[in-house]
Amino acid sequence: MELRAVLTTCPYCGVGCNFIFEVLDGKIINTMAAKTGPSNAGSLCIKGWSVHEFIQHKDRLTKPLIRRDGVFKEATWDEAYDYAASELLRLKDTYGPESVAFVGSARCPNEETYIFQKFARAAFGHNHVDHCARLCHAPTVAGLAVSFGSGAMTNSFAELEHANCILVIGSNTTVSHPIAAKRLMKAQANGAKLMVADPRKTQIAQLADLHVQQNLGTDVALINGLMHVIYKNGWHNRAFIEERTENFPALAEMIEQFPPERVSQITGVSVPDIEKMAAWYAKSQDSAIVYVLGITQHTTGVDNVKSLANLAMLCGHIGRPSTGVNPIRGQNNVQGACDMGCLPNAFPGYQYVNVPENVAKFEKAWNAKLSGTPGLTMVEQVEAVHEGKVKGLVVFGANPVVSYPNANRVQKGLEALEFLLVLDIFPTPTTALAHVVLPGASFAETCGTFASSERRVQLVREAIPPIPGKYNWEIIPELSTRVGYPMKYASAAEIFDEMASLTPAYGGMSFPRLEAEGLCWPCPTPNHPGTKYLHKDKFTRGLGLFQAIDFRPPAEAPDDDYPFWLTTGQIFSHYLTGTMTRRCPTLHHENPEVFVEINPQDAARLEIEAGEKIRASSRRGTIEVKARITETVKPGVVFIPMHFLENAANRLTNAALDPITKTPEYKVCAINLAKAA
Amino acid sequence: MDKLRAKVRTLLSEGQVAGYLGYLIKDSHPLPHLFTPENLEEVDQAVVAPDNARYPLDKLLIPLAERYPEAAFAIQVRGCDERGLNELYKWGQLDPEKVVPVGVACTQEQADYCECPGPWASVVDYGEKCQPVAKSLRVEQVATLAEEDAFQEWLGAFKRCIKCYGCRDVCPMCFCKDCSLEHEDLMSTGQLPPDSIFQLVRAIHMAGRCIDCGLCEETCPAGIPLRVLYKKANALVKDLFDYETGSPTAGPSPWKMLGEEATLETKPM
Repeated sequence: MELRAVLTTCPYCGVGCNFIFEVLDGKIINTMAAKTGPSNAGSLCIKGWSVHEFIQHKDRLTKPLIRRDGVFKEATWDEAYDYAASELLRLKDTYGPESVAFVGSARCPNEETYIFQKFARAAFGHNHVDHCARLCHAPTVAGLAVSFGSGAMTNSFAELEHANCILVIGSNTTVSHPIAAKRLMKAQANGAKLMVADPRKTQIAQLADLHVQQNLGTDVALINGLMHVIYKNGWHNRAFIEERTENFPALAEMIEQFPPERVSQITGVSVPDIEKMAAWYAKSQDSAIVYVLGITQHTTGVDNVKSLANLAMLCGHIGRPSTGVNPIRGQNNVQGACDMGCLPNAFPGYQYVNVPENVAKFEKAWNAKLSGTPGLTMVEQVEAVHEGKVKGLVVFGANPVVSYPNANRVQKGLEALEFLLVLDIFPTPTTALAHVVLPGASFAETCGTFASSERRVQLVREAIPPIPGKYNWEIIPELSTRVGYPMKYASAAEIFDEMASLTPAYGGMSFPRLEAEGLCWPCPTPNHPGTKYLHKDKFTRGLGLFQAIDFRPPAEAPDDDYPFWLTTGQIFSHYLTGTMTRRCPTLHHENPEVFVEINPQDAARLEIEAGEKIRASSRRGTIEVKARITETVKPGVVFIPMHFLENAANRLTNAALDPITKTPEYKVCAINLAKAA
Repeated sequence: MDKLRAKVRTLLSEGQVAGYLGYLIKDSHPLPHLFTPENLEEVDQAVVAPDNARYPLDKLLIPLAERYPEAAFAIQVRGCDERGLNELYKWGQLDPEKVVPVGVACTQEQADYCECPGPWASVVDYGEKCQPVAKSLRVEQVATLAEEDAFQEWLGAFKRCIKCYGCRDVCPMCFCKDCSLEHEDLMSTGQLPPDSIFQLVRAIHMAGRCIDCGLCEETCPAGIPLRVLYKKANALVKDLFDYETGSPTAGPSPWKMLGEEATLETKPM
């Protein structure tokens, strides 16, 4: 008889909720919100309450699989390791080490991600290692790093409750980060003004004191317009600009060109609303900005982020409690995966690969020859496959066939690979294309750490032993050893300690210190208390950098053939490519199939009825979707959720990239809708 | 705490129970824990849940008792938890012969926060009895609002619901296998906020069943004053049926009159 309560950290979004698994005789029977969780304080969303429904699901991969002549056969671990290693070595010898690229995961613990990127870099001597932050918040990392010197949420979730004004832009908070929405609602109850800028009338938009529905892809114009009004009225913070920032004249010159009337024309937001937003944000004592992928998943993603940084600096709403620029990360450990250097341009701790001292530091620590040349980003890897430069791909806990834009082209690329190795917990359209599939241990079957959006590094604790029989942190070193770079660790804590010794922001952390409520980085020394909010007194880069950003329209706009604006996103009961959530009965019950949100006017014009199956097509693909007729979207705009692999929205989306971070424009493309034949 | 630990130690070592469901500080957090005779030394670390870290132990006992139907278990209960046990006995979810309460009396502060009319268990193994709170000011306050104002205020609160189902999932009295909140004829699916009837359907099911532990309100991310709603529902049940929810002496639940099977078809008047 054994009943255990195991405290751990949620594997879904970046809020970092803590919950308790109730484990009865080896079976996880329930999930309970942890009252002592620093970011959730006793709450969870529907996905959190249902986590136990997928872990011991019958579909879990439990044994290694090798595909020969198109047929998967179960294999022993030794056979799978040997075959994978021999194929990787064959590609390395035949085409050179650069022919193998690596895709890591924002879902796995830091320890696994750290050794994954170490494996790629040390065993293959290049930096072609990336992960799905590329698809979501890479513009945050890049944009805020330039403006402030550090690309992360500046403040903590709990602080948001005490802001006087919150601007939520491009965030469907109650859906994608529900327990962050708890803080927004609490702030509102405390008297804060809540403003939401979103092309859709989402729940948080309906709750807001002011909702503006900007046209898709016009955020730079909107934010420049707000700054124009603030500056003209003298509501900006002169002392802050003078003491803490540089390059203000360039910004002033740029925003001069964005008077409200012009901005209104571009964005569709009325002049009085622009003025009201500007006044509320600038004149409240503590104003905070919250944003998510509605800002980043554009060809102007980095520009959008930098614009928000400009706005915060203009008013001095940063570097204090309950203010700041707060990107909420979409995945449990996307912050951590970036921190761990699962990025083609940086070693752990954002120590950039093009700095020779950094290469020397890690060469010494890892005893390997490393490259100082930034590697290929995720979408570039796919292009390199099409060009025949990349022949092998190692995918660790990711599902590119559903999650990448222009999925049809991704699928063709993966089909052309000579060798594809995928580790995952469930079969996916990506594992279906693999030559070797390794069964992974889920977060419930391992110890380790996740870094949440508020930079809080929290423990993940083992509730049950690994279902496939091995920890992921055992699998990667074994593989690495067999391709010629020996690695061996006795525990996740040992890996953490090695990582912390090389990553200054984590330098003072250790598993025992993380027990109570984790620590927010930077935490450089063993007695450092961690950092609740960033940029107090001084930006990470010294002075905050204003940047003049001009408005650029999205890459694709509707025309006669594809007359609708499509935007994509999540729905409250599912998560990303749905491999976990769609296996949870509670979640499946809410949303069993894909749909398209369409305005009643458009539906009437096309004679589409509620619930009718219709065809949605773009220049890149076609899917079948059920019509959901709703005022949530404006006429001319439609929304399709991304979770449904059988009718994946990403068969339609445009792989046009942000020029700096190569992040795809998931939030805007042109499509056509037609009655199904 | 010595008295409580001594009682638990006796229960376990004498084999009166197979386990004690209580709390332990683990990983620096107070967590529910099953103490067993095999690990008797752990009882030295047994604690009473801090007021701000109470969990629905009654709910946790149900699957445990289901898996070990022959075994008896001790369980830490406050007044509300024990009311919960009494209702669960009535609804056939637990067998009173197989449950030994280890009782806690709440502090005055906690009783005031909960507006609790019964802030201690029938046996007190920890704490001192305080003054019960007979009347809920929160309920009275809502009653002073004009009907239309009250209606709008409730609708405003319901619009914040993110449909996490936390109120149900944390509730020690929500043991149904089929939940009305997921019944396709009662509730639409797939959208936020849910139908505004969502909270009302739950409130109706809580009438005569809610033991007023307040865990639903504490877990609600939207800050919906659920406790006020259910306190009111229980007050109505008291008025209409003279039924005191959770009382061991109140007799069968009034809903037993519905018979073995209830259907959704309209009945002749």
